[in-house]
Amino acid sequence: MEPAIETINLTKRYGSLTAVNKLNLKVERNTVHGFLGPNGAGKTTTIKVLVGLLKADGGTVKVLGQEVRGDRPDVRLRIGYMPELPKFPKHLKGSELLDIYGKMCGMTPKERKEQIPKLLEMVGLKGRERDFVGKYSKGMQQRLGIAQALLNEPELVILDEPSLGLDPVGMVEVRELMKEVAKEGVTVFLSSHLLFEVEQICSHVTIIHRGVSVASDTLENVSNKLSGPTILEVEVAELSDAIVGAIKELPFVSNVWQENKRLIIEIKSRDDVRSQVSQAITKAGGIIVSMNWRGKSLEEVFMQLVTKS
Amino acid sequence: MSSAERRFARNPRWMDRFWAVVKYELLWNIRKKKFLGMLIVAFALSTVTLALPVIFSSFANISIGQNPNFVVGGGGIGGLMFFLFALVTVMNTISGEFESGTIVLLLTKPVSRTMVFLGKLFAAFLTLLATYTVLYVYMAIGGTIVYGPQNNLHLLPINLFGSILSTFVWVSIVLAIGSLSKSSMIVAIGAVAIFLALFIGAPIVSMFSEQAWVLTYVPGNGASGYIKGLGSQTPYTPGMAVSTGTDNIASNLINYILYPSANVTFFNISTLPRTSPQWIELSTEPLSIFLLRSLMVATTYIAVFAFIAWYAFRRAQVLE
Repeated sequence: MEPAIETINLTKRYGSLTAVNKLNLKVERNTVHGFLGPNGAGKTTTIKVLVGLLKADGGTVKVLGQEVRGDRPDVRLRIGYMPELPKFPKHLKGSELLDIYGKMCGMTPKERKEQIPKLLEMVGLKGRERDFVGKYSKGMQQRLGIAQALLNEPELVILDEPSLGLDPVGMVEVRELMKEVAKEGVTVFLSSHLLFEVEQICSHVTIIHRGVSVASDTLENVSNKLSGPTILEVEVAELSDAIVGAIKELPFVSNVWQENKRLIIEIKSRDDVRSQVSQAITKAGGIIVSMNWRGKSLEEVFMQLVTKS
Repeated sequence: MSSAERRFARNPRWMDRFWAVVKYELLWNIRKKKFLGMLIVAFALSTVTLALPVIFSSFANISIGQNPNFVVGGGGIGGLMFFLFALVTVMNTISGEFESGTIVLLLTKPVSRTMVFLGKLFAAFLTLLATYTVLYVYMAIGGTIVYGPQNNLHLLPINLFGSILSTFVWVSIVLAIGSLSKSSMIVAIGAVAIFLALFIGAPIVSMFSEQAWVLTYVPGNGASGYIKGLGSQTPYTPGMAVSTGTDNIASNLINYILYPSANVTFFNISTLPRTSPQWIELSTEPLSIFLLRSLMVATTYIAVFAFIAWYAFRRAQVLE
């Protein structure tokens, strides 16, 4: 199966400024792919080319296996897109807007009748659907933006900063929603400046800086390649061979060293495995005094890449 | 049926999606405060047109004479109204979407840009059709009450068609400016400037140059001619006045239906102080040619400016 998104040498210029420079991007299907970069890196420009709002100056863009060149409503029929801080026509009511967008997507009246209330409830706008969009707060408009992106049950959802303007509860809700959407086999391409958000929901990540991709792989590989393996330091009251043996038997451990009463454990995975390590030490008769991570977070990796390039 | 199956089964029909765009635009048109304001002004002006003779005649203590041609013979919507309705209806149609950022979501829906453009144009047509219908019916009822039974009321749809065609000349000009500039301010200033230039320039050209024929080919009121034998023939009017130009299609259509074999004569008027004007005949042509030319000029303007608007819209990139 062809990738959900593929760009080859994508270039976009604004006058003398090259916003995206020969970008090669591949987003595999059924993944949640994070698109990271500092402000002005070219994230939104890339997304606008993907959805047909901007024309590329060079390179090839394929979305769901189809080349995006010129006006392609047939491609847009299969994708859902939410722009950064979406702007809606203020003269329409929330439900009216979704109904019109649903019609544009070719949804039958029955489908719209089923899907719209479900989505409004999902994004927390139930009860406000008869209000004019002009009366919605920024957070509510953001939620409506997510609802319209999911309306046509797309194969690919492209979200540009979906948490922008949301309160902390809303941000958590959106993250959970994205996880749910991904579980249904939808590919999610998510641009965000919130590294913890990407870290929590993305399986893959591309980091872009000054229009160039500086890293693109699974989240784990990107972190591991740049920061080396994750290290867990555990200090125990009394170190024994039984404890070292128990740690070595754990499937996610690649190596173990001893430094006085401390164990330096090299972890293959980026998952939080502290409880398993703690359980293994306790079972082997050890008493844990302290436990510390010595790995780089995505934020550190990101900063390292951006500063280097 | 699973969501994936529903997706693949979905085969949107062109007409359904087109109507969605029309509904989107139509709701915007009729909920615009500017448009509602314009409608109120139009009704107020129509009411004044109907009520003033009644008020004056009651003050002067004379009865109003019967005028069976009031509605079809000129009691309709005039050039300024065509321009204002066009401006208010489509001023923000394209530029407003770009300025507010709402174009982003509209253009990322599975509708082609051509469909969006046509939908917007059709919504403007429906808005004007509804507005003019209500206004003409209002004038017909009012005219009958004030001036007695009206002749040729069956020609009101022709009046309506001509008025919409005249308005669409301005609609296409306004849309083209909006599509090229993507700024409502430039649309308003540009359109008003063009209208005023023609409104002020036309009489000057007509009065001081012998090239009044030029006015036949510009939007607006055009050049005036007369149908001899119709209307009042006095030293000041050698017959019924008719005008070329894109604003007079409705009256030209009705005149042609009522007087198909009439001829239109153009004059050069020479005036000296304290003397009657001297009418020097320039040319005469059949009313059919006169009408055909104004129809062709109007449709050419509509086609050219609508094409410019469509082309600019299709190629527009959404930067913001």
